Amino acid sequence: MLPAFEALFTGAFGSRRAVLETLTRSTPLILTGLAATLAFRAKIWNIGAEGQLVIGAMSGYFAFTLFGGFPRAILFVLIILFSFAGGAAYGLLAGFLKVRFRVDEIISTVMLNYIAAFFLSLMLSSIGPWREEGSYYQQSAEIPEAARFPVFISDSRLHVGFVIALLAAVAVWILLEKTPLGYEIRAYGFNPVASRFKGTNVSGLVMLTLALSGGLAGLAGASELYGIHHRVVMDLSIGLGFTGIIIAMLAALDPFGVVIVSILFGGLVNGAFKLQIVTGVPSAFISAIQAIVLLFALSAAVLARYRIVRSVEDAG
Amino acid sequence: MLDDLLQTAIIVSILASTLRIATPILLAALGELVTERSGVLNLGVEGMMLMSAFMAFMVTYFSGSIWLGVLAAAATGGLMGFLMVFMAATLRVEQIVTGMALNLLGAGVSLFWHRLLFDKTQANVATIDIFRPIHIPILSDIPYFGEIFFSHRWMTFFALMMVPVIWFFLYRTKYGLQIRAAGENPRAVDTKGVSVIRLRYFATIFGGIMAGIGGSVLTLGASPRFVPGITAGVGWLAIVAVIAGNWRPYRIMLASLAFAFLQAFSLQLQGIGVQFPHQILLALPYIFAIIAMMGSRARSEAPSALGLPYFRE
Repeated sequence: MLPAFEALFTGAFGSRRAVLETLTRSTPLILTGLAATLAFRAKIWNIGAEGQLVIGAMSGYFAFTLFGGFPRAILFVLIILFSFAGGAAYGLLAGFLKVRFRVDEIISTVMLNYIAAFFLSLMLSSIGPWREEGSYYQQSAEIPEAARFPVFISDSRLHVGFVIALLAAVAVWILLEKTPLGYEIRAYGFNPVASRFKGTNVSGLVMLTLALSGGLAGLAGASELYGIHHRVVMDLSIGLGFTGIIIAMLAALDPFGVVIVSILFGGLVNGAFKLQIVTGVPSAFISAIQAIVLLFALSAAVLARYRIVRSVEDAG
Repeated sequence: MLDDLLQTAIIVSILASTLRIATPILLAALGELVTERSGVLNLGVEGMMLMSAFMAFMVTYFSGSIWLGVLAAAATGGLMGFLMVFMAATLRVEQIVTGMALNLLGAGVSLFWHRLLFDKTQANVATIDIFRPIHIPILSDIPYFGEIFFSHRWMTFFALMMVPVIWFFLYRTKYGLQIRAAGENPRAVDTKGVSVIRLRYFATIFGGIMAGIGGSVLTLGASPRFVPGITAGVGWLAIVAVIAGNWRPYRIMLASLAFAFLQAFSLQLQGIGVQFPHQILLALPYIFAIIAMMGSRARSEAPSALGLPYFRE
């Protein structure tokens, strides 16, 4: 057992290279974790970060196909804007369905995840416009060096997306804790009926929250596309959106908590690869562990509360 | 092309596969109906089905007994149902989050065990013998109708049979009434001296078992090998079928058949080589699911206490 933990730990945090790779892997998780945090604070159950990530990445790639020749800095800004807007539009769609047609956002976002995957597959299919010429694989041509997210620490894959993720965490914290909009989001999550009576434009609030949440997931898509894959591939996101939900819950919906939990989860993923090499245990066990951790954390939170209630009853 | 499409044989084939594809959706949806009627919103159906599909495959592969595989799937579903209701009714954790955790659990654990047990044998992919269709004597010889209705695997007949059974149970038995009351007005049930918690345990575990059997259909009734993520949204379609079917057994059956028809239709179009992007066809059931949800809330018969934990005063 001990060698396994050792392998997991050294693989995650054991060397400079490992730490940098852990941070690289935490980057999309921070963004999807923030996406879940923002929506869940309003008790809006956005399960669609997976799809919003895909649409965001696709939208970001679309920016590249339009403005590929622009100067690097301008292209970078356009990619960020497009990715955020793409994810936001996809989130907004779920919001619109919710306020206009009363379609439960859980269902619509899950369905939109599948639809996004088929849309991606269509664009990369043999008749799709993005398919790399003559490629056997369902992927686009490689994005040239000049358009990628720059790596800012040598000898690693740690790209500027990590900085964006940290900035996003600060932005979400400021939004939630320091602005009137953040107050309304939290108030709506606490008591939607009261928000309505208070005169809040609830429809607008729901749509805006889902759009912002989707936008954050869209940024995760850009980060993976321009920082890691460097081309549009079918598995842009293998569960990054869902892992973001776990992270948000474990972080108790706190933006900075999301950063910390994401780095731990990034380490788990990273360490799991070393673990697989050393012990032969498939790295997929991490996704099982994450779900089990979530179940325990949910139970533990309740059990901790339960004891307090009991002691009060006993006293009375 | 259109002529081909209209050929009777193709229509018959589409309708026959509609029933086949509807089977897992319908089984899970009927289970979810009973669960939701008791007031528990179980969003973990997808994860339960995925885990059960894998367990069915694994147990059948190692034991050589396909019926043991069905049993394992039902037990897996029941166990995950227990987990769901323990968190929902006893610990009173947010049910939506618990359901999502079950989905992630099913995806993660099935992927891990699949990698651990089967991925090493890359050269020869692990396969099992799956159930064969039953051709009901005489009836299956009726032209067209025989193929559409009477030549299916047992689970299809079982699923269709469960529609009136569940209806009878919910609307014509005392226990069914209690379950519905637990979802509608739990305090009233409690006042009558019946345990709301126990009803919810029964209903959720039952729903899990049904989802488990539904999951087993995806492997034992359809595919000789297991692919990670084999459910591909079937569990979610089941949840949508319950809502679109307005929490009534027969309408849920119709909703399940509608989803299945769209899938059967797109499979058939691909099969006969129609030049149309198949991704659009494959996305149809999910698009239709959203459309089916639009406006279905207005005439909703959703249980009033759905998703709410019960606190005894």
